[in-house]
Amino acid sequence: MFIGTEKLTHTYMPGTPFATKALHDISFNFKQGDFALIIGPSGSGKSTLIQHLNGLLKPTSGQVVFEGKNISSDKQELLRLRKRIGMVFQMPEEQFFSETVFDEVAFAPRNQGFDDNEVENKVIEALKKSGLDPDELRMRHPFQLSAGQKRLVAIAAVLSLNPEVLILDEPTVALDTAYRKNLFDLLTGLNHKEGLTIIISTHHLDEAAALANRVLVLKQGELAMFGPAAEVFGRREELYNLGLALPPVTEIMHGLAEKGMPVKTSVYTLQEARQAINEVKRRDRS
Amino acid sequence: MTRSITLGQYIPGQSFIHRLNPRLKILILVLILVLLFLLETFGALLASLATALAMFVLAGIPFSYLMRGLRPIFYIAFFALIIYFFFTSGGVVLLRIGFITVESEGVEQGLFIVARLVALVLFSLLVTLTTTPLSLTHGMGYFLKPLRYVGLPTEEVAMIMAVALRFIPTLMEESQRLMRAQLARGADFETGSIFRKAGNMVPLIVPLFVSAFRRADELAMAMEARGYRIGARRTRMHEDIITFKDWGALALVLVLVALVWVLSL
Repeated sequence: MFIGTEKLTHTYMPGTPFATKALHDISFNFKQGDFALIIGPSGSGKSTLIQHLNGLLKPTSGQVVFEGKNISSDKQELLRLRKRIGMVFQMPEEQFFSETVFDEVAFAPRNQGFDDNEVENKVIEALKKSGLDPDELRMRHPFQLSAGQKRLVAIAAVLSLNPEVLILDEPTVALDTAYRKNLFDLLTGLNHKEGLTIIISTHHLDEAAALANRVLVLKQGELAMFGPAAEVFGRREELYNLGLALPPVTEIMHGLAEKGMPVKTSVYTLQEARQAINEVKRRDRS
Repeated sequence: MTRSITLGQYIPGQSFIHRLNPRLKILILVLILVLLFLLETFGALLASLATALAMFVLAGIPFSYLMRGLRPIFYIAFFALIIYFFFTSGGVVLLRIGFITVESEGVEQGLFIVARLVALVLFSLLVTLTTTPLSLTHGMGYFLKPLRYVGLPTEEVAMIMAVALRFIPTLMEESQRLMRAQLARGADFETGSIFRKAGNMVPLIVPLFVSAFRRADELAMAMEARGYRIGARRTRMHEDIITFKDWGALALVLVLVALVWVLSL
């Protein structure tokens, strides 16, 4: 097991009249190099679940597993773990506190105790990896950047740790279409070229659906579905009942299939859709 | 972190004490506090302590909250006891260590003071634990009303207090989220000297301020959009109606105070 949980349960404020069970008996595992999605309606426990994966929250019962070993609660080991499992929070630009983009991205490597030269190298590398121009941005004030650039700087601030796993909580919230596409291109690149394992939580399937190879669905703190993307997305009715719509393209393909056109329905991008339809046309002609 | 602030932490419930009108609840609390100062015998104090405990049970408040609420006065009680034990003279000598003596008068007075203190805190705690902070401020605002005649904008002060109370949990949650976010980036909030620790708080404080100001801006705009104006008369969605039961409770306590006064227990 690369990264996952075993019978994880989390209760907020246990032992008080305000105790609420956020997660109940969750077991799953992702493999190294996965592009994994954690989906579910808002309030289903996505954020709570992913904050367990690098030890920011401790399970009330059950285990979090990384590389076959249970995550320990030792402080030094947690620090090492958080370096290997990077975590980008929801609206990460709200955490900015530095006066320059450089300092913002340098926060993590400085905390790791690197010297100035190494810090500089890591910052430049991280900015480049995030698709930003280090020379143009390093001295800018992070609050002056556009929404999309801020999000990328926030991701660079975590990439500067050189993590092996990158977890992102609702990374596309409040981004427009162009920046969303940009962000997913970036994540695909990191996944393919750098071999980074990527875990994304989202309630908005659109762009993410085509990229994922493994999907976990949460429903009111319980594991509703878990498996390869094709398998989970095949259960369209159930997803729909959970309030999770497949991308519009996929819905159209399902519609065509219902009208009697024998097209493939496991299609998540326009390009794939065009291919599938052309294929049917070609078969009709011959 | 959220656990350390019991004062103003409301525990939801449906008991008679929960449903008591907040204005009268405050008035009754004041009367009870006066009553506690009028009591002069151990028996009467113990009876009031027993009453307080019974009311906690009636209100369905877990015992742990009671203990947590008493924790802040533990040291005060402890030092009061020591001072009374060792420095008050009179009565029979109970213990003699060298030239220091513990005498019966001191023990009696010390225990009496501590019992009274505990009773005071318990009754106050009962009110804050069974009343939402919001209705508590509205109640207080009502008693502040006469100050309007000397030019104090009481309605606005009550609004400021209500807004501040409303945002305490929000900011707490936000600071915890921020803390976890910076921890994920390798921040360290626990080790180092006090100066280091203070420096390490910058990644927490700056974003917290930024978001607090943004929230304040948004709130002001939303309030204005809904017609909030300074100095305008406001009505409330949940009017606090004083029922027959509320008057009954007040009358009961008044009778009790009068009785104690007359009999001088």
